[in-house]
Amino acid sequence: MQHDKPLAGIRVVEHAAGVAGAWAGRLLSAMGADVVMVEPPSLCPLRNEAPLFRQGGSALFAYLAADKRSVICDLETETDRAALDALLSSSHILIDDTPLADREGLGLDEAAIASRHPDLVHLSVLPFGASGPKADWKGAEINLVHAGGEGYLLPNGLSVDLFPDRPPLKIGGHFAEMQGGAAAALAALAALWSGQGQYVDASIQDANVAVGAFALQRHGDGSVEHRHTRSFRFGGVIECRDGYVELLTLEERQWKALVELMGSPEWALDEALDDATERSARGQDINRHIREWARHHDVEELVARAQKLGVPMARYNTPEQILEGAHENARGIFQTLAMPGVGDVKVQTAPFRFGDEPLRLGAAAPKPGADQALLDARFAATKREATA
Amino acid sequence: MKPLAGIRIADFTVHAAGPFCTHMLSQLGAECIKIESAHRPDIFRKPHTVYGRAGPATFDQVASNKLSVRLNLKHPEGVALAKRLVGIADVAAESFRAGVMKRLGLGYEALRAVKRDIVMVSVSSSGQTGPDSHYAGYAPLFGAWGGLGHLTGYEDGPPVEMRHVMDHSVGMNAALATVAALHKRRRSGEGSHVDVAAREVASSLVGEALTASSTGIAMRRAGNIDPQRAPHGLYASREGDCWLSIAVSTDAEWRALAEAMGEPQLARDPRYGTAEARIAVRGELDEMVEAWTRQIDAEDAARRLQKAGVPAHVSWRAADIAEDPHMRARGAVVPVRETDGRERMAVGFPARFSGSDAPGIERGTPGLGEHEDYVYGELLGMGRAERERLIETEVIY
Repeated sequence: MQHDKPLAGIRVVEHAAGVAGAWAGRLLSAMGADVVMVEPPSLCPLRNEAPLFRQGGSALFAYLAADKRSVICDLETETDRAALDALLSSSHILIDDTPLADREGLGLDEAAIASRHPDLVHLSVLPFGASGPKADWKGAEINLVHAGGEGYLLPNGLSVDLFPDRPPLKIGGHFAEMQGGAAAALAALAALWSGQGQYVDASIQDANVAVGAFALQRHGDGSVEHRHTRSFRFGGVIECRDGYVELLTLEERQWKALVELMGSPEWALDEALDDATERSARGQDINRHIREWARHHDVEELVARAQKLGVPMARYNTPEQILEGAHENARGIFQTLAMPGVGDVKVQTAPFRFGDEPLRLGAAAPKPGADQALLDARFAATKREATA
Repeated sequence: MKPLAGIRIADFTVHAAGPFCTHMLSQLGAECIKIESAHRPDIFRKPHTVYGRAGPATFDQVASNKLSVRLNLKHPEGVALAKRLVGIADVAAESFRAGVMKRLGLGYEALRAVKRDIVMVSVSSSGQTGPDSHYAGYAPLFGAWGGLGHLTGYEDGPPVEMRHVMDHSVGMNAALATVAALHKRRRSGEGSHVDVAAREVASSLVGEALTASSTGIAMRRAGNIDPQRAPHGLYASREGDCWLSIAVSTDAEWRALAEAMGEPQLARDPRYGTAEARIAVRGELDEMVEAWTRQIDAEDAARRLQKAGVPAHVSWRAADIAEDPHMRARGAVVPVRETDGRERMAVGFPARFSGSDAPGIERGTPGLGEHEDYVYGELLGMGRAERERLIETEVIY
């Protein structure tokens, strides 16, 4: 825990089996909160989730649990429930993603926590929230990205041009669950700011509907979005000689710069194309020209020239390119952590920073029960107080 | 009171990512003063044709609930007035290209000089430092830089561009970091400069793939395939272009799915008894599941599968979300009334609070400069003559 990190001094207890709850905890730990994972005797299931390292162990867990501590706690037993209570009495936030039906049996229901820990922020993170007709529904990543509305709109651009009849897509990785995690962490910190202990009911579906907000607004405007039609009229994913770039020109000066980038070809000098509406109407034709032109260029050369001219263009980076990226490394977004049994791995520390320096993580993901003494000591201390 | 009641934001953000950050904070109760000028209104306020029709398609949601003032930052007196606003704010938010605020005389140090403990949040494509910090970018470029685009798409197809969800994800993270910085201020009395690089938000969303890749594992886009689950995907229903998402993680879920499909013998078939076995015949299973889903109503099937303990949900359109009783019951979608009396549906805050007043949207889209009496008059105590002079000289413009 670095004392200059924004959340220094804040303790979080995380009881999470899913990515959303764990990501909420991870965002808080990156910002300096002391996050203690409470694992069941069968251990956190994320320890076995793909992608897996060749030597065994989960890269997902290595990423999500970095800089956390671990205690093992069997909440089916009264003793361990009391131990958890002792830990919670010195904590500010409890993150829990236990399905509603199982909470009471583990002493984790809203009423029980509120009665024992009135000052605690009790953050519930569930696929469809803890209230409403679907509160007991299960949701995996693919269900949630589609329950939030964005899945139906994917893919778009070149991909849907090539495969118009295929089923819609999920976003790579755990996009939807991580939206839930970030929104939940925000809600918990806001509740903590209010100074009032309370129950916070975060929903992964709600978070995805929130970040997909414009679809709902367009619906209200009478404009129905569909993956077949929401592509940009021109630009988008463009194939070059050695990879793909993204190209998007929204402003007049950017279009003019694009024409210059392409060497001012005759078709682009047509005066009618000075009008944005006309360009939009002729988008398909323009894109045919752009795609034909780009095939003769290498990505790196094109992006460098484009950005110099003020044309918004980016390389579709592979993970390897990001890990080796000059910009990423100049900003120090990765930290090398030693994972027992795996060796050195790189972990992105956080999606934000405070000042010029990146946030640094204190330790790699913990071994199961690595901090068991923390739980036992606190429980013992409480027992002593009770005896006294 | 709402959780962030009492917090005031001087909001210089434009486009989507930055405004979504202050939109979230505003829904949580912060008072958000949106700063624009007639010279340079937020580009999203203006009609544009990027979606193939000339209309301001995206402004209302993120602008709602905010107060609006006109302020011309190109004018030296405008910069001075901006500093007065920052002087009465807790947070100053901006989303210009890196370096623009500094050139305007409104960099972090300049703002600290007028408000010692200000929390400044800067949202940009590539961050405030580093060789690409001057790069221009929009959501699809953030996704491309950050690897999210490369890892999304059909196995045999090209990468996929990220859209507004990417912008808004950046805004959500920026809002989180801003509240964290407020906690630091409360504890230490110190402000912060929060630096949110959109491409780093994108890469954080595939952080596990980057970590795996750092040990030499090749990570590729995989469509709807999950390496540890089958059946797993989007399945066509009997209604055209209506898809059912199903994700089977456990053997019990598989057995429940087989029962629901009316094929109880599959539940007992050892060829499909374990996840490993099912993954090995993934394509075969997908065909069996889709042969079933093609005959059924997707919503009804989702309900039945959920009842049997199988994660399933229909791939929803915006209309499904707008009309859903669950969404409405949670306040996840809310009606908003505009000043012209028109009502529209908008997205609410994605969590409920037991102890604070419910977050949400209380006002619609502000007209440009609609709240100057309150902001310049009441908050800054400017008299009529001073305001008229500033309007005359195009400082308030």
